[in-house]
Amino acid sequence: MATKTKVAAKRAPLETLREADETLRLPAITPPVTYPLETLVPEVRHQTPAVGQRATRPDGRLHGLGQTRYIDDLAFPGMLYAKIKRAGVASARIRSIDTREAEAMPGVMAVLTGREIPVNSFGPSLKDQPVLADDRVFHAGDGVAAVAAVTEQIALEALDRIKVEYEPLPAVFDPLEAMKDDAPKVHAPNGNIYATKVIRKGDIDKGFAASDHIFEGRFRTQMVEHAPLEPHATIAMWDPNGRVTIHSTLGRITLGRADVARTLKLPINRIRIVATIVGGNFGGKNEITQEPVLALLSKKTGRPVKGTFTRTEEFIATTTRHPIIMDYKTGVSKDGRILARKVRLVLDGGAYCSWSETTLGKACILSAGPYKIDNLHTEAYVVYTNKTMTGAMRGFGAPQVCFAYESHMDDIAAALNLDPLDIRLLNAFEEGSPSPTGQVLHSVVVKDSLLQAAQRFGWKEPRS
Amino acid sequence: MANVTLNVNGEARTASVPPETTLLKLLRDNFNLTGAKLGCDVGDCGACTVIVDGKPVNACLMLAGQADGRDVLTIEGLATLDGLHPIQKAFEDNASLQCGFCGPGIILSAKALLDENPAPTAQQIRDALAGNLCRCTGYTKIIEAVQDAARALRGEPADKAA
Amino acid sequence: MRAFELVTATDCRHAVALLAEYGPFAKVLAGGTDLLVELKSSPHVPEVIIDISRAEDLKIIAVTDEGLSIGALVTHTEIMRSALIREMFPALVDAAHTIGAVQTRNLGTLGGNLMSGVPSMDSGPALIALDALVTVAGPAGRRQMPLAEFFVGPRKTILKPDELLAEIVIPKQNFGKPAHFVKFGLRKGQALALVNVAASLWVGRDKQVFAAPRIALGAVAPTVIRAPKAEAYLEGRAITPEAMAEAGRIAVGEAKPISDFRASAEYRQDLIAVLIKRALEGACAQAKAKRDRET
Repeated sequence: MATKTKVAAKRAPLETLREADETLRLPAITPPVTYPLETLVPEVRHQTPAVGQRATRPDGRLHGLGQTRYIDDLAFPGMLYAKIKRAGVASARIRSIDTREAEAMPGVMAVLTGREIPVNSFGPSLKDQPVLADDRVFHAGDGVAAVAAVTEQIALEALDRIKVEYEPLPAVFDPLEAMKDDAPKVHAPNGNIYATKVIRKGDIDKGFAASDHIFEGRFRTQMVEHAPLEPHATIAMWDPNGRVTIHSTLGRITLGRADVARTLKLPINRIRIVATIVGGNFGGKNEITQEPVLALLSKKTGRPVKGTFTRTEEFIATTTRHPIIMDYKTGVSKDGRILARKVRLVLDGGAYCSWSETTLGKACILSAGPYKIDNLHTEAYVVYTNKTMTGAMRGFGAPQVCFAYESHMDDIAAALNLDPLDIRLLNAFEEGSPSPTGQVLHSVVVKDSLLQAAQRFGWKEPRS
Repeated sequence: MANVTLNVNGEARTASVPPETTLLKLLRDNFNLTGAKLGCDVGDCGACTVIVDGKPVNACLMLAGQADGRDVLTIEGLATLDGLHPIQKAFEDNASLQCGFCGPGIILSAKALLDENPAPTAQQIRDALAGNLCRCTGYTKIIEAVQDAARALRGEPADKAA
Repeated sequence: MRAFELVTATDCRHAVALLAEYGPFAKVLAGGTDLLVELKSSPHVPEVIIDISRAEDLKIIAVTDEGLSIGALVTHTEIMRSALIREMFPALVDAAHTIGAVQTRNLGTLGGNLMSGVPSMDSGPALIALDALVTVAGPAGRRQMPLAEFFVGPRKTILKPDELLAEIVIPKQNFGKPAHFVKFGLRKGQALALVNVAASLWVGRDKQVFAAPRIALGAVAPTVIRAPKAEAYLEGRAITPEAMAEAGRIAVGEAKPISDFRASAEYRQDLIAVLIKRALEGACAQAKAKRDRET
């Protein structure tokens, strides 16, 4: 058998080239790697018989070869590394930021503070989030200053030398506390409740009056970070002609482009955002984070600037899943039929709105569960607290309310001594059932699914 | 500066790097081998897994200086001009990788396992991959791919019934 | 990671000499699975890191006159694969297996795990249950102490800044002593112990009674601890499930678990009782299997 040749080709002539590169402080040039492998490129309008076929991913081969280039795998000549200083205090006024010592460090090419950002606010709906905190810190993960340096080490050390003086302000961390009139206002003068949704259907007073039993329960969920394996990463390059190219892990580049245009006060056509394969999004890479900061650092230095979040930053400075406090009150007949339900949801929005309005809506609409309920009242609030902002995450509020209404259902079944499956079959949506907002539902298979699942895992069999 | 000479994917490579440079940074920044990923930088996620002297390690938890004189295998050294490594093939066929970021680490952990144990049980595979996190897949297809790869490496036909 | 100088020790003697030279400005790097994580998150990095990972004389597993000597740099993987340890002390293998994941076990060392001094360490209880000693090398030579006395508080050991943990010794009289290790974490892989327990015992020569029972617990006090009252209760007592359960209940009173984000103190107390019973059962089963093999 022929000996296998390693993929990496002979590199000797390239050594000299690499050394020349290093003296120029340019990233090493890799010799071209040629794989005798066809990579799968899906053709436009190419029809394949899909049904019954085993599908593989067109990009799977490159992933497995380690040849997929994610943002952090890219490097450009002369590239600098950026780091952002995090506030570490939940609520404060910034008295002063002294960057002189950091700027004087050899290897530090530029320092940026919030006051230098042309329009220091953005957000998918409410524009309530600063790119870097300038006057006011709203949560501990807020960036207060950024550094671009020739190495990550120097950038890190420069952060230590930036002196920020804070005047601590009262903070609020519990969403129920934040709803009270005398609670510290996160975004004064506005109140802390920044979005509300109410769904009314039928007459819940009558429904409760007609009920044989009334059950109440409170359910709460915790904050969850998406924790994609790939941290947020961005490389920004400001061209001399006043255009900026941003390579970013953003999953929604069109939206990001609008936010970057706003914050940099540039016409949108001057901004180019290049996306590549995202190393896990799950809703956590739906909005810009450090993009404008790096763009401005690139403008200041005239060089490409890369920023990659640490895992800590992923947790403290990117969006998370909304914790929700969910109060359920349900009136049922003797046989377990739901006659009325009242739901109150309080979403912890953290310091900024982000995708809270979308999450609020979806949580509210789904909070009654897949059950026929003629008399329903749902009210939902999302409130500011001085914590990491909450935003989009798979399900947009659906998993939280599902946990609540199904736990509540089990409680009711237990109290009435009913089989948890039977009480669901009794109340579940059917073909043509209206949703809480009046949408007539089609292709409803709740009962079929429940029955099939119960049959497959032997629900009715005696349990030991 | 620390001068390091190591064997990467069968080739001697040298570099002069600051002492605090990790093996991961050396591979990515100096050798432009970006298959090993920086995921958590504290040894929890396994995205930076490479094989050093036959054993999978987290490249983020090893200093470049500690790798001096050692044999390092990265994902870039697995395929040959003849084609994909059977593990890579199995991962592709099973569509085991979604975003792919964990893939290089998982494939190398799987290689280290199959080098020692050609017929691992599902539990042994799980144990060997416990240090490699994947947020996309739920692991099922990954385990199946390792089982398929094990069969292929043993020269058995793939289990098409599964 | 902030900048530091890296010096490499060629052997134990060299490492001690380097420690004498840099002492308070230096930290010792073995497997790096704890130290590098700490250095990455800290703005204060020691000036010098002494890399001992190439000191071959600290990587030896051997039977000596004293007992079984395990070099401080032996990795968890090497413990799991050592034929000697698998034969004599399966509990050590079980404990090593529960540490981190394959990648961390390939780098992480036994000495490093002990030096971390964290109360939830997995190698501590199993070794203490086997009356392990540690040998410390310093400028004035070597000294030895029971491992149980090595820990003085959370992340604190008795080691002086110019000393180095050189080896761990399991005394000869404990060769083949039945021992069992159990750990309870929130997940099977890569989880820190909520509580971990190791128990060892001999079975009386003529009667089915506990002889020289040892119980060691992790994650329930500022350091890994023994449960002397529970041990005293078992000594000479007939081996019964009730006695094992009672020992577990007694040990609950000897521990001072805290509540943290992983578990409440009450939950840990319940775990102590259950896990001690299981550890004793495991050790007894091993004793029985051994007797069956011999007869």
